[in-house]
Amino acid sequence: MTKMKMIALSLLLMLPLLVSAQSYCGEHKFDGVHKNEVTGYLVGGKNVVTGWFLGPTVSYKRHLTDRWSVEGNMQAQFGKQLYGIYAQGSYRLPVSYFNFYFNGKVMYNRYNLTRTNEYVMNLSVLMETPYFELQVGESGIRYHMLHSSYNEPMTFTFGTGVNIRPRWNSWNIGLYFRNFDEFYYENWNINWGVRFNAKLTQQLNLFGEFKVRPAGSLSQLASKYETSEKIGVKYVW
Amino acid sequence: MLLVAVATLSSCEKVSPIGVLIAGTGVEDRVKMSNLYYQKHQLDYKDQWIDSVDYTFLVGADSHITNDTCRMAEMLQIGLDNNDLFYAHLGDIADTKAEYYINLDNTLQQFKRKYANKYFHEIPEDELSTRDREGLYCTKSGDTLRYEDIDYPFYPVVGNHDLTHNGWPLWCNIFHSSFYEFNIILGNTQQYDHFIFLDTASGTLGEEQVRLIEEGILDAKDIGSYMGFKCRYTFVFSHTNIFRPSSLQFSSTFAREETFYLLSQFEEWNVTAVFCGHVHAWDERDFAGVHYVTLDSMSERNSPNPGKYLLRVHLKKNGEIEYERVQMNYVKK
Repeated sequence: MTKMKMIALSLLLMLPLLVSAQSYCGEHKFDGVHKNEVTGYLVGGKNVVTGWFLGPTVSYKRHLTDRWSVEGNMQAQFGKQLYGIYAQGSYRLPVSYFNFYFNGKVMYNRYNLTRTNEYVMNLSVLMETPYFELQVGESGIRYHMLHSSYNEPMTFTFGTGVNIRPRWNSWNIGLYFRNFDEFYYENWNINWGVRFNAKLTQQLNLFGEFKVRPAGSLSQLASKYETSEKIGVKYVW
Repeated sequence: MLLVAVATLSSCEKVSPIGVLIAGTGVEDRVKMSNLYYQKHQLDYKDQWIDSVDYTFLVGADSHITNDTCRMAEMLQIGLDNNDLFYAHLGDIADTKAEYYINLDNTLQQFKRKYANKYFHEIPEDELSTRDREGLYCTKSGDTLRYEDIDYPFYPVVGNHDLTHNGWPLWCNIFHSSFYEFNIILGNTQQYDHFIFLDTASGTLGEEQVRLIEEGILDAKDIGSYMGFKCRYTFVFSHTNIFRPSSLQFSSTFAREETFYLLSQFEEWNVTAVFCGHVHAWDERDFAGVHYVTLDSMSERNSPNPGKYLLRVHLKKNGEIEYERVQMNYVKK
């Protein structure tokens, strides 16, 4: 019965992806015109430790100039009892068809099931090409729980993605592979999946991700840890 | 080109493209099998009564045995010479090939014989009745038991390299269960020490193991709640490490939620120390009142030079615990 429910839920969540795949794509990249972005999405899935989870994320991004931007994000994942907030500043350096984004980020997460407070600082560079992107960086992570605290050794950040259409296309579908997500940074634990985006109007984008987050390293890709789906819209003006 | 690459990789038994990437038996199945075996054979994991509250046990990690079993033999000999009460291994015990597991099993059998000869008295053949054709041993207290019934005190956890190339059948053919616990009962003190072995080879406990832990299957209820004995120390053995020794250790640890879950669970179990392997690097630290030790690899290939690759834990009469790093001297010629 549980398996049937999972399949039904997966199909339901995959539906927007399939529909949009037939109609379009384009994601979070700056178009040089708009100044403001508001994004909202739902993320839901199942984690082997915490079980089912579902929750919203909202963010606001302001392009101060065509180079500088700042943004703030907040997230709640009910079931997992994970609540997070982060702020990020970016500088964009355009070089021919490429963009280099230099990002600085500070983040706070509350893992309420285990009463853990996590603080993260991340510095990264994102290289964006028409079809391909690569992000590398370093993260400093500190967490507090059980009246103790721990500073993790500096954590290397890497992520890559490839799209089937150039990034300025009105729709896109791609694959990604990375060791972080908006609200966490891991060591050698990767996540990967399929993503899409589609311009519904000049101001409204639909986007989504299907994500597999296996446990362990590259030698253990088959170990299930978390599977999730993300679906949302971005409004720009 | 692709065909040549695949053929080359497939012909090399250690880098089979499928074997490297995929563990044949997932953690859910392993834990279900292990728990079934553990429930049916609980007597094999019976609590051990000892006369003293002062004893030692020996821990090693990541032996990655192939054709050379000398480092494993050295560990077992060190344990035997020092009268360590038991020997724990933190996984990645052998690279997954049938011959390597046969080598491992031969070594364990060789040392079981040595162990039996040291701690038991073999009854001479001419004193045996015709019914007892061979292998009767006598304990110090005068009880007799068959050689097969002597428990060789070697307790492993399973590691990720034990699972590649569909290695689980090889591993469980010798060790049977990757998820179990036992107690050492300390004479007439009504105290016991509790030892928990987790299956973390896949970098996660998996749903089933989390469920069993939540059910309290590892809580030593029989001896604790029902018999009223008091737990002195609790020790946990895990292949995957909790803490990274340095920023250059790219080997995976547990994902965020699971790290925090385990740290909480160890606190709930009132764990004294957690022993881990996996990263082939030494690390020792305290967090929330729990001592965490990550051991270096004892394999002669990963650690070719002599060094302190083993750990002896000495539980003393005065309540102190001493963690002593133990030298291994074998060098491959």
